[in-house]
Order: sequence, then C-alpha cells, then structure tokens
Amino acid sequence: MDFAIFLVQLLNGLQYGLLLFLIASGLTLVFGVMGILNLAHGSMYMIGAYLMWYFVQLTDSFVLAALLSAVIALLLGVVIEKTLINRLYRRNHLDQVLLTIGMIFVFNAMQSLLWGDDPLGVAVPGWLSGSISLTELVEYPVYRIFVALLCLLLAAGLYLVINRTRLGMLVRAGESNREMVECLGIDINRLYTIVFGAGVMLAALAGVVSAPMASIVPGMGEHVLISCFVVVVIGGMGSIKGAFVAALMVGIVDTFAAVLLPQLSSMIVYILMAVILIIKPQGLFSS
Amino acid sequence: MTYFFGKKTEQLFIWLFFPLALLLPLFLEQNEFYVNKLTSVVIFAIFVMSLDYLVGRCGMITLGHSMFYGLGGYLFILIAPEFEAVNFWVYTFYICVLAAAIALVVGVIVLRTSGVYMIMITLAIAQMCFYFFSDSVEFGGNDGLFILMKPDTSLFGLAFFNLDDPLHFYYFCLLSLFNCLVFWKLVTGSRFGRIMEAVKDNPQRTTALGYNVFLFRLLSYVMASALAAYAGYLFALQYGFVNPSMMSWQTSGSALVMSILGGMGSLYGAILGTVVYEGLHYSLEHLTEHWLLLMGCLIIAMVMLFKAGIAGFLENLLERRK
Repeated sequence: MDFAIFLVQLLNGLQYGLLLFLIASGLTLVFGVMGILNLAHGSMYMIGAYLMWYFVQLTDSFVLAALLSAVIALLLGVVIEKTLINRLYRRNHLDQVLLTIGMIFVFNAMQSLLWGDDPLGVAVPGWLSGSISLTELVEYPVYRIFVALLCLLLAAGLYLVINRTRLGMLVRAGESNREMVECLGIDINRLYTIVFGAGVMLAALAGVVSAPMASIVPGMGEHVLISCFVVVVIGGMGSIKGAFVAALMVGIVDTFAAVLLPQLSSMIVYILMAVILIIKPQGLFSS
Repeated sequence: MTYFFGKKTEQLFIWLFFPLALLLPLFLEQNEFYVNKLTSVVIFAIFVMSLDYLVGRCGMITLGHSMFYGLGGYLFILIAPEFEAVNFWVYTFYICVLAAAIALVVGVIVLRTSGVYMIMITLAIAQMCFYFFSDSVEFGGNDGLFILMKPDTSLFGLAFFNLDDPLHFYYFCLLSLFNCLVFWKLVTGSRFGRIMEAVKDNPQRTTALGYNVFLFRLLSYVMASALAAYAGYLFALQYGFVNPSMMSWQTSGSALVMSILGGMGSLYGAILGTVVYEGLHYSLEHLTEHWLLLMGCLIIAMVMLFKAGIAGFLENLLERRK
C-alpha cells in the first residue's frame, strides 16, 4: 500500500465514519434523552434515500430535493412520536423493540409499494461531480469530500446546539434527570417530540447525502442499523461524544480491513465491538 | 402430576392443542405440503419456546438467538461425514453439547452486559456469525449447503421412524415440542427456576442473598441456546439444507414477535404465538403481495392493545371468576 492509496482509504474511512455518526447520533440522542430504543432508525435512513430519489426525479434539483426530503422526514418523525412512541415511555424495552420491529415491517412494505424493489440511483449533481487529484495517478471525488464536510458541519452544529443553547441545556438535563426536568415545569413531551424529530431528520439526511454514492436498495436500512448499533455500543449509549469517536473508529477500521484483511472484512467491526465490551462493558464514554 | 400444568387456561390449551395436532395430519394425509408446513411451525415453536424462557422467565432480552438456530444446522454439516448416514441420536447429543459450549463462551461475553446493551451485543454477535457463514466459500455462501445423507434413526438396532417420511417426522417434532414444554416446566418449577425468577425480579437482592447471579444467568443462556440449536438441527433435517438466513436478525425478530404475541414467559404461549403468527403470515401472504404492511400494522396494534399477549388475554377471559 503506497501513500496515495493509504490516503484514499483514510479519506474513505473518515467519510464513512462521519456518515455513520450522522445516523448514530440520532439513535443515541433518542435513547439518551427519551430512553427509547428505536430499531426503526435504519428505516429512516432508507426513507431519506428513497425520498431523495423521488424528489430529484420531480424537481431536478439536488438542493431542493434534499431540503424537501429533510422537511418530510422531520414531519414523519414528529407524527410517529405523537401517535406511537409517546405511549411507550412507561413501558419496558421489550415493547419498544416489538413496536419498532412492527414499524420496520410497515416502512419496508411502504417502500416496496411506493417505489418498487429494483435498485435505484441518484446522479451526483453537476457542481460536485469532479474529482481532486491527490497525486499524478490517484484522484478523489469531490462529492465524497463534500459529504464529509457536510457531516462535520452538522456534527459541529449538533455540538453547539447541545452545549450552547437553551434547548441543548434541556436535552442534557433530560438525559441526567427526567423527573426533575418535569418538576421544574418544563414541557417534557414537547422536548421529546423535538428530539425524536431531529433524530429522524439526521438519519434521513444521511440517507439523502449517501443516495448519489451507493445504490438505493430495499434492506439498506437494516444494514446500516446494525452498524449504528456497533457505533452506539462502542461509544456508550446516550453519549454523542462517544458516538463521534466510535463512528470514526468503525469507519476507519472497516475501510482498512476491506483492503488489508478481506477475509475478515465483514466481521471485523463486530470483533472490535466484542473486544471493547470485554474491556469496558458500558462502552468508551458512558456516563 | 395433575397440577403440573398450573393454570386452568394452560391445561385447557395443552388438552386442546396436542390432541388436535396429533389428529390434524389425518385430514391432510394426501397433502404433503401442509404436513411439511405444520412440521416447520412445530419446529419453530421449539425455538420460540427457548427464547420465551430466556426473555420471559430470565429477563435476558436477546436479538441474537437465531445464531444458535442457524448453528444447529451448520454444526451438523460441519461434524457429520458427507457421504455416510450417521446416527440421529448421537448427533443430536453432539450438536446440543457443541452449541452449549459455544453458548458458554458467547454467554461469558454477552452477560457482562444487561438491558439495552445486551439486546445490541447479542444482535451484533449473531450478525457477525451471519456474515461469517454468508461470506465463506466453504459453507456455500448465501446459498448455504445441502445435507446429502440424512441420519439414520435407529436406536439399539430398532428403527422407530423414518426421516424421509414427512408424517413420521411431523410426529417426531411434535413429540419434541411436548418434551421441550415439559423440560421448561420442570426447569421453571424447580429450585433453580425459582431462583432464576428472583434474579429476574431483583438481581441486587438475589446477590445479597448469596447467589451467584451471573452463573444462574449463564446456565439459563446455555440451556436455551442448546435447545435453539436442536430446533435448527430439526429444521435442517426437514428440508435437507442450511443457509445463513436461518441466523439473520429477522429470524430472531419474528421469534420475539411470536413469543410476545403468545404471551411472554408463559411457555405454552410460545406455541400459541407461533401458530397464530404463522397462520396469519400464511393467509395474508395468499391475500396480498404486501402482507408485510398488514403484519406490521397488526404488530403495532398488538403492542398498543394486548399487554400480555394472547395467553394473557385468554387467562383474563377464562379465569376472571376466581
């Protein structure tokens, strides 16, 4: 492996890790604040990608389609929280697992009903379609760099919102002591709706930006869900910082394993997770 | 043993289900398809019951139980010679013991965690196993492998039944299901089972009473995994092949749904849940291509309305006047 290839792999790993973080942050936020384990989180990623495809066909504009998809995902999240999830706060994890499995079934069926089961693709928009040359022979697509930067921007935004705003303060308070937040006269239900909606939107955004990089296929949600679980477990449930570190770790390990250890490539992240759990059963950054 | 099956509803169910299941093939004698369908339902019920014990009676929620179901099939291919009929009973023993040994190792890792962590780590380990088999060339990748020689079932020189006859195999699986139910009833009724119940309700207090909670959990995990592997082994023998989808997370997920549908922790509810779920699946599948949508809505409605599954609903109905 010469330096240029190494650089390409490193960039790929970082970009994949940042994308994973975008999805996992929603999962870990919803769990940390609301105590809800949302197995249908991967479906939101899938819905984002399919919505993107649909709106690109409709509007022929990348930015407009992305915005429309994000808004619809946010609305979907709010509706789901208001109608289904809010009945589950006092129930155990098993009921949450069951409800969200039911939701996966419904979303998968809707996807096949609305958009069919054939793989779909979205073209990279013209203004992002070039590539940067790293050396004389090796080039790197601009779109992937754009995705990485966008994810970094969103991560920074998330950090600022959680640490610097009133809403973020409530989120942190809700994480550490739910009852106390309620006692202080804060409408916790509204907070939950916002957090769940935001989580769904983040996952859908990840689907939106990854649509031009990979083909849109049925079952893409489940695959990404499992990777997110690994990220969240390694990072420590409910910890955004942990999710960030773990996502980059998983992204880089997964990418390099595909080159260096192809026999083990699909297992390596799970091995990583098992090793970390043996050392720290609560994850790296658990509170 | 009159009160072995404790609740009235449970007794009623046993007395209705097993005679009915015994008689049912007589009406379907000409139709091998339905006999095979029934057999696979019965086999899956064995698997669901082991999950029901683990989740409902021990409070260990796992989404990776399908790993052992799949391993039951793969272990047979791994250890049995390819072109020679081996003895069914000997290999049943081997597979259960090997699966138990694997469960012991996995359990030591998995049981360091609990609650949501356990849900996710079991899922991840099962997924790891799934990818291992679906990526490996030796194990046939995504297509899986065929079992070329079915085992020979003679015991002390007497052949009780023929694996190639669907009807024989159906009755054998039904007997296995009954034995499993009796086994789990014995376990839950024993001193061990009562301590396990204490572990489920309050691990801290049970520890304070001087019990090693970890060991009790581990033993339960090993037992449930061994029986899940047994179910997988039966499944592999029924159709003569194994493939990685046996250990996909969807298998675990639907088993969990069946167990909750039937009434978590009631054991006989596992049979109830499997029969109802598979029945719905079969009829919805014939009704529409998009059966998944109806199934999903049904599951969501169920979580919202029935909190204790069908068994809980029936018990309420039949035992209200007490």
